[in-house]
Amino acid sequence: MFRLLLSHFEIKKLSWLALVILLAACASYQTPSTQNLREITDDAGRRVSLPARVDRVISLAPNLTEIVFAVGGGNRLVGRTSYCDYPPEAKAVAEIGDTLHPSLERIIALRPQVVLISTASQLEVFTQQLQNQNIAVFVTDPHDLDGVFRSIEQIGDILGQKEQAALVVQKLRDRTNAVEQAVKQQQPVRVFYQLSAEPLYTAGHDAFVTDLIRRAGAISVTADVPGAWPKYSNESALAAKPEAIILPTGGSMGTGNSTVTEALRKSPAALANRVYKINDDHLVRPGPRAVDGLEEMASALHPDAFKK
Amino acid sequence: MSSTASNIVTSPARQNRVTLRKTVVSCLALAIALLLSIVLMSLIGSEQLPARASLCALASFGTASCGLTRDQFDILFQIRLPRILLAAAVGGSLATAGAAYQALLRNPLAEPYLLGISNGAAVGTMIALVFFGASEWTRPFLAFTGALLATLAVYRLARGRAGATPERLILAGVIVTTFLSSVIVFVTTLMDATRIRSFTFWLLGDLSGTSKALLPVAITIAIVGTLALTLNARSLNLLMLGERDAFDLGVEVGRVRVVVFVVASLLVGSSVAASGSVGYVGLVVPHLARLSLGSDNRISIPAAALGGALFVIVADTVARTIIAPRELPVGAITALIGAPLFIYLLKRA
Repeated sequence: MFRLLLSHFEIKKLSWLALVILLAACASYQTPSTQNLREITDDAGRRVSLPARVDRVISLAPNLTEIVFAVGGGNRLVGRTSYCDYPPEAKAVAEIGDTLHPSLERIIALRPQVVLISTASQLEVFTQQLQNQNIAVFVTDPHDLDGVFRSIEQIGDILGQKEQAALVVQKLRDRTNAVEQAVKQQQPVRVFYQLSAEPLYTAGHDAFVTDLIRRAGAISVTADVPGAWPKYSNESALAAKPEAIILPTGGSMGTGNSTVTEALRKSPAALANRVYKINDDHLVRPGPRAVDGLEEMASALHPDAFKK
Repeated sequence: MSSTASNIVTSPARQNRVTLRKTVVSCLALAIALLLSIVLMSLIGSEQLPARASLCALASFGTASCGLTRDQFDILFQIRLPRILLAAAVGGSLATAGAAYQALLRNPLAEPYLLGISNGAAVGTMIALVFFGASEWTRPFLAFTGALLATLAVYRLARGRAGATPERLILAGVIVTTFLSSVIVFVTTLMDATRIRSFTFWLLGDLSGTSKALLPVAITIAIVGTLALTLNARSLNLLMLGERDAFDLGVEVGRVRVVVFVVASLLVGSSVAASGSVGYVGLVVPHLARLSLGSDNRISIPAAALGGALFVIVADTVARTIIAPRELPVGAITALIGAPLFIYLLKRA
C-alpha cells in the first residue's frame, strides 16, 4: 500500500529524515542531563530529576505555598494559585489560576524549574506537558501528619533548605508530642467531622484530618469509610452517636459550614452542645498550620487537659 | 388519524365509562403498590432497624415507638421517611410533567431533563442560593421561573416553518441544555469553594438534603399539578391528533398550551429546587405507562404520576444503600436505567 504511493527513492529519503528527527529528539532529550541533576522520589513514587539549585518554583496548592514559606523558600516562589492566601507575603506572588484550572501558559511563561502539586491524580496530561518543557513536577500526597512532615522535609530538600526544614519539623513534632501527652490520660471522644452539611460530606480513611483527630484524643466515627472525602448517609451519621462534632469553617472557605446538619441536631454531640468550629484552613490544608488545627481540636475536645 | 378522532367524538359516553373504570382500577393498583413501597423501603437503609417494630411504628403514624430506641425512631421518621416522601413527590412531578410534554408536543422524546427544562430550574435554584441563600422560599419560585423560561425557549426554537418535528425539538433541547450548563458553570464560580463540591453532587439529582420546609411544598405541587393536568387530559388526547384538528374539535389550544407549560414548569421547578436534576424519570415512566395502559392521557397521566413516585423511591433506595454508609446521587441510578431505554425508544421512533 505504502509502496504504491511512494517510490523506493522517496521511502529511502523519508527514512533518512525520520532518523535525523529521531537523533535530534534524542539530542534535545539529552540536554538536561548535562546539567548538574539530582533525584528525589515524590509521594506518587516517581523519581523526579531536579537541578542542583532551584531558584524558581511554582506551587499549585495553598498547603504547598505555606510549606515553601515555612522552610524559608518564599523568595523563590514565582507562582501560586488563587487559593494561596497564607502567609500574607504569598499574595505578592504571581497568580497562575486555581488548583484545578491552572493556566499552563502562565506557568511556562514564569519559567519555573519545579512545579509542586498536591495530588497524584491531578492533571496527568498537564504533567507531561510541563516535563516536555523541562519543568520538573513534584507530587505530594500526605494521608497523615507524618506525611505532612515528610512533605516539609522534601520541599526543604528541593529548595536546598534541608536544615531549616528539619528545624520546622522538629518544632512541629514537639508541639504534636505535647498535645498527645496532654490527652493521653483522657477518654477518647467519638467525633463526627462535618465537611459540609447539604449534602453531608465527611472525612474518610484517607483524609489526613482523620489522623489529626486521632492524635487530638478522639476517634472519628467515619475513620474506616473508604476514600478521603466521602458523601455520607444521614442516618448512619445519627446512628454513630457522635459525642462531639467538628465544623471546619470560618477560614478561606467562608462561613457556609457553620451549623450542624439537620440529621445530627438530636445527636449526643448537639444536645450536649459539643459542636466545635475550627478554622478550616488548619484542618483541610496538609501544611505547617495543621498542628495549629491539632492544638485547637485537642483543647476544644479536652479542655481539662489544657487547663493551666 | 381522522378515524380515531371520530371514534372519540362519536361514542364519548361509552368510551368515558370504560376509561373511567380502567383509570380507577389501574390507579388504585398503582396507589397500593406505592404505599407498599413507601413502607417496605422505609425498612431498608444504611442502618439496620428492627423490621417488626418499625412496621408497628409506621402503622401508628409515629405516635407509638413500639420499642424502637430514640435514635432508631429518629432515623425512621426524621431522616428516612421524609426522604422517601420527597422521592415520591419528585418522581411523581417529573413523570407527570414528562407525560404532559409528550402529549402536548406530540413527541415521545420530550422530557424535562432532555429538553433543558431541568437545567433552567437548576439555574434558577442556584441563583436563589447565591443571592438569596437564607430564604428557602425563593428556591422553588426561581426554579419555576427558570423552568418556564427554558420551556418557552425550547418551544420557540423548535418551531420551524414546517412546524416542530421531533428531531428539531430534541436539537433545541440540546442547545438549551448546553447553554444553561455553561451558565451553571459560570454561577458556580460565584460560590465559595466548599459549595462547589456539594453542587456537582446536587446537579446529578440528590435527595439527601431533604428540607423540612420544602417537603410539604413539593408534595402539594405534585398532587395539585397532577390533578390539573389530568383535568386537561381530554384536550391533550385531541391535541395528539394535531393542533389544527384539535382546534376544529373545539379544543382551546392556546389555553391548554399555557396550562401545560405553567403546571409542568411548576412541577419541574419544585422537584429541581428540592433535589437537583433527576434525569430520565419523565421519559421512562410515561412510556411504561402508555405501553401497559394505552395512550389515553386520562389514564397515562395519573398512572405516570404514581409510577414515577414508585420508580424514584426504588432508585433512591438503591442510591442510598448500594455503597452504604456512603451514597450515590439518585440521578446516577435513574440515568443508568433511563439512558438505555432512551436509545431503545429512539431506535423505535
